[in-house]
Amino acid sequence: MTRARLATPELVLLVLLVGELVWFSLAATNFLTLDNGLEIVRASAEVGLLALALTPVILTGGIDLSCGALLGLSAVVFGAIWRDAGQPIAVAAAAALGVGLLGGAVNAWMVAGFGRPALIVTLGTASLFRGLAEGLTGGAVNYSGFPASFLHLGQGRVLGLPTQAWVLIAAAALIAVLVHAATIGRALRAIGYAPEGARFAGIPVGRRLALVYLLSGGAAGVAGLVYAARLGQARADAGTGFELSAITAVVLGGTSIFGGRGSVWGTMLGLVALGVLANGLRLADQPAELAGVLTGILLVVAIGVGARRGRA
Amino acid sequence: MTRRTMAVAFGLGLGLLTLGAAGACRGGGSAAPDGALTVAMMPKNKGNPYFVSCRQGAEEAAQQLGVKLLWDGPTETDPAKQNDVVEAWITRGVQAIAVSVENREAMSTVLRKARGKGIKVVTWDADADPDARDAFVNQATPAGIADVLLGHAARLSGPAGGEIGIITGSLTAANQNTWIAEMRKLLPTKYPTLTIVDIRPSDDDRKKAFDETQTLLRVHPKVKVIMAIASPAVPGAAEAVKQSGRKDVGVTGLGLPNASKPYLLDGVLDSAVLWNTKDLGYLTVQVATALAKGTPIVGTTQFPGGRLGQLEVRGDNVILGTPFTFTKANVGGFDF
Repeated sequence: MTRARLATPELVLLVLLVGELVWFSLAATNFLTLDNGLEIVRASAEVGLLALALTPVILTGGIDLSCGALLGLSAVVFGAIWRDAGQPIAVAAAAALGVGLLGGAVNAWMVAGFGRPALIVTLGTASLFRGLAEGLTGGAVNYSGFPASFLHLGQGRVLGLPTQAWVLIAAAALIAVLVHAATIGRALRAIGYAPEGARFAGIPVGRRLALVYLLSGGAAGVAGLVYAARLGQARADAGTGFELSAITAVVLGGTSIFGGRGSVWGTMLGLVALGVLANGLRLADQPAELAGVLTGILLVVAIGVGARRGRA
Repeated sequence: MTRRTMAVAFGLGLGLLTLGAAGACRGGGSAAPDGALTVAMMPKNKGNPYFVSCRQGAEEAAQQLGVKLLWDGPTETDPAKQNDVVEAWITRGVQAIAVSVENREAMSTVLRKARGKGIKVVTWDADADPDARDAFVNQATPAGIADVLLGHAARLSGPAGGEIGIITGSLTAANQNTWIAEMRKLLPTKYPTLTIVDIRPSDDDRKKAFDETQTLLRVHPKVKVIMAIASPAVPGAAEAVKQSGRKDVGVTGLGLPNASKPYLLDGVLDSAVLWNTKDLGYLTVQVATALAKGTPIVGTTQFPGGRLGQLEVRGDNVILGTPFTFTKANVGGFDF
């Protein structure tokens, strides 16, 4: 019993992460510095927001493939409202968040309301959101020249930490309460293990599912703003492939893709492991493709250990 | 076999795989003596043969000058990834950064940050904001390229002139847009019989260039010249015109000789304009190294470009030379 407990996926990942840190402190230049640590957080914040919101989604046995596209749509809407409609930054930001929530609501409506498979629904809405973003900009417009006060969200620091790190911490706290402290968390796990059983146990399955997809949409809206502020631009291709990185972080963190088991803590570890890998390889003068290879190996190891224990 | 031995075997296998992968992917930087200057150089896209041939010249210059060259960038056109790599180079600490800028706005911010940390910044192939870099290695002036391309278009459409359709890189690509702007300036004065009727994106993808050219031919049936101004777009556009069977449509563009060769030889493609890409990579490393050693560029009129001889300096631009046209007659002599 003790031994089984020690070998949780989170612990395996922690060991891998320590391995990464040791390797890169030896092989890479200026890797083990505070500034670089903060830089890793800055670069991981958008994927991190998506991954955090994806954790409860995947806990229910669902998936959201549309969050990367929704990030792009929110960023573009933000730019359009600010520049083309001439509205203040605050209005544009609210609109971007609104778009995120609206996109999440569409997913929630289809998955929770009509019981359609999340994989198919969000594959469809991913294409829809990306298409809307491209249509809105003709694939060509690039919104930029945002005021410094807004860029501070992506490029500045507050109390020593990158501004977006605070956003990420707040999101992690919120999701952690939802998943681990509130009764809702138990309901989400129950849905993940057996949706029919959960229904018979009196859990409002539809409402709980709607909540997690709505949250995922909202997180995509926030991530869109952080992205626009970090790069100083909003283009229709923003966040391409981010949903896959986010899913990787969640699964790497030990959340079962079949639902029922997982933790916010694991997701954060997964996120850091991926961020450190990409950053460390660059500082070790290794080409970026190697990050893809090693991410794959990391996943295979983490899942391989899980499978050996019979509960991937 | 017990479970534990299986686990150990599994772990060992993965370990070997990791080592193998690390070995296979080596080659991000070239060897140089310790304490040498490090020049980090970024293409827009590592897979594009245009940038592959630039790298050959860059490696040659690095070897000649004894500097360590880091070569990295996105494997696909992605402005966010370019930023991430430059951020890492700033943290790592290099003496010079040379970037072919995919997106001006996003890159200029991070390049200014690099300059703020005392790193010399050179842009090459595609420029950033002037205050974000110390010098720009200009492969050819936009006006020169626009003039040569329109000259070919005018010859292809004959004395009566006609419609031109352009297949560009991405619609936001800075240098393609500058060339198009220069063409628009030249059209009314020097080429009044020509008009640009459509500009379509290829996103540096041959297949997309093929599809967009087919669409263009359907939407504008009177078009006389297809001008493909991104190197992967040339064979795509030429293939589309070839398959359409339209002998009355001429194709010209800006492309690599090897990719253009089959279409130049069978006559679908009239001409491909370019500069010597190896020389561009070579010159970029020369300029970056000179700056890192403290040699000024601004205020001089000539730059000693190693085997390229003395090159013209215009303000903070180092000019590579005049564009070159590959044709059926001369393309056999080039291989990149």
